[in-house]
Amino acid sequence: MKKAYFLLTILIGLAITLAVGRAILQNTLSTSGIFVSEAEKEISLYKTQNAILSEKLLAASSLTNILEKARKIGFTDEKSLMVIKTSGSLAVRP
Amino acid sequence: MKWRYPFVFAILVFLFGLIISRLFYWQVVKAEMLTELAQSQYNDLKKITPKRGEIKTSDGFSIVANKVSYLLYANPKQVKNQNQMIQAFSSLLEIEKASVSAQLTLDKVWVPIKSGIDAEKKEEIEKMELPGVGFEERYARFYPEASIAAHLVGFVGRNEAGEDKGYVGIEAFYDRLLKGKEGYSAELKDALGRPIIAERTLVASGLDGNNLILGLDRSIQFLAEQKLKEGVERYGATGGMVGIMEPKTGNIIAMASAPTFSPEKYWEYDESLYTNPFITSTYEPGSTFKPMVMASALDAGLITPLTKCNICDGPAIVSGYDLHTWNDKYYKDTNMIEVIQHSDNIGMVFVAQKLGVDRMISYLTKFGIGELTGIDLQGEIAPSLKPRSAWYAVDLATTGFGQGISVTPIELLSAFSVFANEGKLLQPRVVTAFESPDGEVHEIPVKVKGTPISEKTAKVMTEILANAVEKGEAKWAQLKGYRIAGKTGTASIPVKGHYDPNKTIASFIGFAPVDNPKFIMLVILDKPTTSIYAADTAAPLFFSIARDLLNYYNVPPSE
Repeated sequence: MKKAYFLLTILIGLAITLAVGRAILQNTLSTSGIFVSEAEKEISLYKTQNAILSEKLLAASSLTNILEKARKIGFTDEKSLMVIKTSGSLAVRP
Repeated sequence: MKWRYPFVFAILVFLFGLIISRLFYWQVVKAEMLTELAQSQYNDLKKITPKRGEIKTSDGFSIVANKVSYLLYANPKQVKNQNQMIQAFSSLLEIEKASVSAQLTLDKVWVPIKSGIDAEKKEEIEKMELPGVGFEERYARFYPEASIAAHLVGFVGRNEAGEDKGYVGIEAFYDRLLKGKEGYSAELKDALGRPIIAERTLVASGLDGNNLILGLDRSIQFLAEQKLKEGVERYGATGGMVGIMEPKTGNIIAMASAPTFSPEKYWEYDESLYTNPFITSTYEPGSTFKPMVMASALDAGLITPLTKCNICDGPAIVSGYDLHTWNDKYYKDTNMIEVIQHSDNIGMVFVAQKLGVDRMISYLTKFGIGELTGIDLQGEIAPSLKPRSAWYAVDLATTGFGQGISVTPIELLSAFSVFANEGKLLQPRVVTAFESPDGEVHEIPVKVKGTPISEKTAKVMTEILANAVEKGEAKWAQLKGYRIAGKTGTASIPVKGHYDPNKTIASFIGFAPVDNPKFIMLVILDKPTTSIYAADTAAPLFFSIARDLLNYYNVPPSE
């Protein structure tokens, strides 16, 4: 009789523990959804910022922009080319 | 007393019946509708829009990228001060007050105000803290080099379903590869609208588009566009084209056309400007076609460079038609080297007659004339060669000097590259590789289409063309110290069965350096007015670009 009573107590205790455990777990999970959502929002924000910065970088390194800036600071096109040939000697012996 | 029990029992049964029938109505009859309603309340289905692939030049620079843009929308029911909002939007976003007002008076909870807003404008609007206003993030095409290579890359517009779609050029040809695949994710929310992590599911996974890597050299493209613009203005032409290819790979390293359009604001331009004339316009190539005919006769062993022309002492009469040279000068017993040097039409009639119709058709087909080159751009056309039965003696004669036959610029560039590539004909290509979203690069192999002429013939023809540059009509414009093989072409424009004497298509095609060609280039000017001749217009423009290209490739002068 005592044994049966003991087993019943364990079973009821186990059922209560599992029920409480599940409630705690579900509570934790349901609230962490908010954190995950916030983290995702942050990732999305960084992605957007990354895209905006890439756009700025591309615009700044475009040839159109470089040419415009080079003209402003005084660079001009080289009209005559000078070629230094490596095959000839620098000075001919007398 | 006895009747009371059955009476109460009957009432209870009736009430239970009512409840059961009502439950049956909601849970069985209306089950589907209620399920949808419940799902719409707690299930948030999100569309994952794939990022369209970028288009990069050979140096890895994205000439077509994606930028973040925003769609501004409003909820008219939450707007408190309509006048303030109309005033703010119309001045800040440069839109009509009437258009904002019309949207805000609609009996809806979501109305679009303006799309394509950049991040700075978005911030300015957010600072105003206007109630009932929101933004939807989107990606739009961004062109860091503005309208560079517009005809080549094409543009992205919207189809009937409102989805992004590539039109003309690379954007159209590689649309499926660029656009990627849409995905969907569902998020379960609680009664307060907070997301529940355990129930988050990915309904369908999406995939970003592939990046395309072109053989296009950004610096050369930039240079070609600038020089073409200057050339069109200087020679009073209505338009022009420049195509530059790497002979050993078939890679298009630059392709420019004028007039052009801006892919970012394509709707502001006439639709006729969208097509790439380098692959869609046909014209009679004139003298630039002579090398193909001459090389065919040389390859067939019908002539040698020193063969003398025995009909070159005056105009030729073929089937009753008088055929003249371009300047009415005639050279008795001239040889084949001089025929190309003087761009002698009668000399080419001699060569064409030696070749005959069958061999002419056979060789031109081997050179790819009359067929699509297979370039990876949308919209390429190729006028077919006439059927054998439609070739008359005069057709054979005029084809010898490039009249009475039509080609596209890309067809000519591709055929001419055979001389610079040991007799091999390659398929021209724009995209050399594509990069999948995981960063893996897939190379596209070079395709050899055939060998129209032998390596020896190609070398002989190259020397004949180098001589033409050195001693021909355009010798005044040539670059000192460099050996360039090339040919001028002044093609008359057929109008109502005749050729217009004052309107021409001036062109120059050539490659350099002769010993190890780095590039082959075709320059075309449409109806130049300062002079109708290519030697005075297209040739100097060609040499001006060639000079900068040789410098860019670090090729020193040989003399």
